[in-house]
Amino acid sequence: MGTLLPALIVGLIFGFILHKAKLTQYSTIANVFRFTDLTVLKFMLTAIVVGAGGIYLLRDMGLVTLTGTTPTYIVGNLIGGLIFGVGMAGAGF
Amino acid sequence: MRKLINWLKSPEWSPYAAGAGLGLLGIFALLFTDQIFGASGAFENVGGAILNAVAPSLADNTYWNYVMPAAFVSFGVIMLIGIFLGSLISALISGSFKWRAVSDDQWARVFGPSVWKRWGALFLGAIFLEYGAGIAGGCTSGLAISGGVQLAPAAFLFMAGMFASGITTAIILYGKRY
Repeated sequence: MGTLLPALIVGLIFGFILHKAKLTQYSTIANVFRFTDLTVLKFMLTAIVVGAGGIYLLRDMGLVTLTGTTPTYIVGNLIGGLIFGVGMAGAGF
Repeated sequence: MRKLINWLKSPEWSPYAAGAGLGLLGIFALLFTDQIFGASGAFENVGGAILNAVAPSLADNTYWNYVMPAAFVSFGVIMLIGIFLGSLISALISGSFKWRAVSDDQWARVFGPSVWKRWGALFLGAIFLEYGAGIAGGCTSGLAISGGVQLAPAAFLFMAGMFASGITTAIILYGKRY
């Protein structure tokens, strides 16, 4: 239970932010692939820049270790992404 | 205080503000839980657990023993419940909550109001999503963002693939209306 309460809290905030960014709507997701609404890109890239800045700062301070759970496997990462994109553009998740 | 409450109640935030918030959440998640976030892993945990209950010999492999442990309750499953509740709370307090079978006006305009068509697209699309995420090692949140903040090459390869096929799929589906 000790690890599950943080999971719930992180999930709650994550879901809250996703809805505020309108990423829960089909049109927001579909329109990034039509270049008519770049919300998804603005949202994702800002998150990566802010997150990477903070995480690398904390890592250099010795406060966090990177999870390193996703190994680089060029064919798998790329083909997985190619299949994923079909579903993302079609369904709008 | 009034301003803060209004901000929490507003139906949408600037994507930059929301993105910065997500980046901060990722930092705190890594600091306090040693993990970041992900949504697709939960379906694999639960899928494995169901298979384990129905046909244990089929679920007894490296994938469900080590890569994506079969479990009805995992960090990812609880987080997924949190994600659902979090967006529900946001929708309720901003007053944008609505029960609809076809949830998007743009979809209805382009592909028609058919409920079966929309739900069929959701079902098929979800199969592609989960299968692709399984191969790549994560989804938009679990790989692209959680991996991206750690500058993992896998995240950027995944995003390249995702946009290449997403754009192609949209061109095919929208045809002349693209």
